Amino acid sequence: MPSSLFTQFKSEDSIKKKLNLLFRNRIFRRFFIQFVFGIFLLLLFFYIVDKALNLELGFGHLSSRAGFGLSHTFIIDYNSNDSRWMGYFAGVINTIRVSLVGIVLATILGIFMGLARLSPNFLINKISTGYVEFIRNTPLLVQIIFWQLILLQLPHISKALTFGGLSVFSNKGILLPIISSNENGSLWTLILFLGLIISLILRSRLFKYKEEHVDLFSPNLISFFTFVVIAIISFFALSIKLSPSVPEVNINQYGTYIQSGGFILTPQFAAVLFALVLYTGTFITEIVRGSIQSLPKGQTEAAMALGLNTYQRITLIILPQALRSIIPPLTNQYLNLTKNSSLSVAIAYPDLFMVSRTIMNNAGHALPMFVLILITYLTLSLVISLIMNIINLRVTRIGA
Amino acid sequence: MRILLSRIRENFLGSKLDVILSITGALFIYFILSTLISFILNSDWTLILVNRKLMLTGLMPEEEIWRAWTIFSLTTILMTTSIAFWFKINIKSSIFYILLLLIPLLIFTTKNTLLYVLFIMILSIVFFYLGYRSKNSELKNIVSRIIMISWIILLPICFLILNILDGPKMTLWGGFMINLILAAIAIFAGFPLGILLALGRASSYKLIKLISTLYIEVIRGAPLVAWLLLAWFVLPKFLPNLFGLSDLNIVVRAMIVLSLFASAYIAEVIRGGLQSIPKGQEEASFALGMNSISNTIFIVLPQAIRIVIPTIVSTFIAIFKDTSLVFILAITDLLRIGRLIPEQQQAFFGKSIESLAVVALLFWVVSLVLSQISRTIEKKLNI
Repeated sequence: MPSSLFTQFKSEDSIKKKLNLLFRNRIFRRFFIQFVFGIFLLLLFFYIVDKALNLELGFGHLSSRAGFGLSHTFIIDYNSNDSRWMGYFAGVINTIRVSLVGIVLATILGIFMGLARLSPNFLINKISTGYVEFIRNTPLLVQIIFWQLILLQLPHISKALTFGGLSVFSNKGILLPIISSNENGSLWTLILFLGLIISLILRSRLFKYKEEHVDLFSPNLISFFTFVVIAIISFFALSIKLSPSVPEVNINQYGTYIQSGGFILTPQFAAVLFALVLYTGTFITEIVRGSIQSLPKGQTEAAMALGLNTYQRITLIILPQALRSIIPPLTNQYLNLTKNSSLSVAIAYPDLFMVSRTIMNNAGHALPMFVLILITYLTLSLVISLIMNIINLRVTRIGA
Repeated sequence: MRILLSRIRENFLGSKLDVILSITGALFIYFILSTLISFILNSDWTLILVNRKLMLTGLMPEEEIWRAWTIFSLTTILMTTSIAFWFKINIKSSIFYILLLLIPLLIFTTKNTLLYVLFIMILSIVFFYLGYRSKNSELKNIVSRIIMISWIILLPICFLILNILDGPKMTLWGGFMINLILAAIAIFAGFPLGILLALGRASSYKLIKLISTLYIEVIRGAPLVAWLLLAWFVLPKFLPNLFGLSDLNIVVRAMIVLSLFASAYIAEVIRGGLQSIPKGQEEASFALGMNSISNTIFIVLPQAIRIVIPTIVSTFIAIFKDTSLVFILAITDLLRIGRLIPEQQQAFFGKSIESLAVVALLFWVVSLVLSQISRTIEKKLNI
């Protein structure tokens, strides 16, 4: 109390005792400690700023011509005449691409392996245990390099495995058949995606309406119909032409092999993806297993007593309840996966970290580049956390 | 026989789904095992025989190898003693530990170091027996204290051994040794720092809380490779020009970065433990007349750390695995050696997978020992 502090000072004790009293006062002590700490921090801050001012600062160098090519570009077209900013963004998109695909696949793998880990079936159980014990305890970097080596051991492109002309497996990459379309295709995909979201929202609204008012229609059918209508109208409006794209290998007039068509998984991308998925999958397996094990056993027994089969038991009873305790640690694993994708620098997959390192080597300005890397990763982490928090809110609300 | 059959029916052929799963599982296991066995039988393992020294100590000169082996002996003996003393020993677990000890020894033993291996073996067995016997004797408390102190002074002693009598330059350290040393340093320095940060983040002092939170989140925000690269490019320019600090060699820089990085992760783990301590503990200690410092040290921290020991050990394992990332600083650690051998030695061109397999095996063994120990502690503390 300030007033009591004041009265204490009025007493006529020795200075030593006064100081002692002063220091015993909680408010003063808090203030004093934080003040000293603050001054120390301020000094450190000035020291760092002073040192930093001697370095190259600013992002001006990022606007000049890049001068390096990237082996993988996605969505944006980038060549070595573009600015370094463009190169950096191409790297960011590569990171997002590998992380996004990795997150989806790792989640699927993790959930299946987590269920397998609890399976009474001896073989399945042991496969899952072996997978976790072996993959989790070796460094991710070793695994990335291992997958790259394996993929480079595939036959040379002149002797590529074709699997009846449907796909091409060679050490230049794996080509899989896809359905391709004319130039409006990406727009149509976007519209399809939006349509899917709209119909899902419509479905939940209709279900709510049905519960409260009338029981005359099927929300599932109506929302599906909406989706189909959106798809068909946009299909004709954009005059989409779909055609299957089958990969093939040809020899051009110089005698070099050209692979074309289909969807390509380059060895670098595939190596990073496989390693990330398998590695993160082990952690997700353990999370899923732990969450399911923490559910009371009565839930499974009750579901069995109601006559639900294994599939219904898992999807209707166990997973929805387990999800509540799965999602927070799962978010952490997603963040780890995104950050771990920076290890692709070891096998030259041009993610944002590798591009920044190239820029640092070419143009210096290490400190600003670090700030940029940090900001980018923090932004990615924040976006993932935000999405997962929204999902978490929904999941907990459904359960309650 | 009938029991066996019914067991098989129950386990593998319970329902249609089970039948399908069992068959695919069996095929999968057969595929993996056959690939693995044919790989092991068909590849030429002289690669390891020739490069054992390189894998263990990297570019360290031949006459300095005794330093590495002395460190290994000390660590192994201490470890066997503590396992015998603290853990419940049954035949299964002892076979497990012995096998795991044998793998690195078999890989690394050369003619010159055979004496060391014998020395390690005999002393380990002796100390194992001593540790086992002193478990239930009157000397229990003293032995326990001795083991604790030895673990704490192990790292300084290792450094002494590496540097005493004109030791090799730090940049010559390499191989598996540098992975173990980097991990040990990061844990040794990161743990106390992590505790401080966790306490700082839970503190009621706003400024300290803010700074700890900021530190933890920023460090965790970027991947370790980025921080290591920072140590390469930027760190020297920020260090004061005192005592030759500004031109620290790259190994020390890696140690600093790994410790700082580890501290942020350990802090988050310990914070979880701190949060799980009920408030009544603190109130009770205040009621007993403790001040906040002794409350933290004697009441809250021991309980918090006890709860999170398994998580801390898995953080340690992660740090150990992360030491392989020092490739970006061109430190010749085990992984880098494993990649250089098939590139630079003509006899082993194109044997990258074999050499990588050995690297993976070594990392795996150490991580497995650590995770086994964590599991044992978990069971022992009944968490």
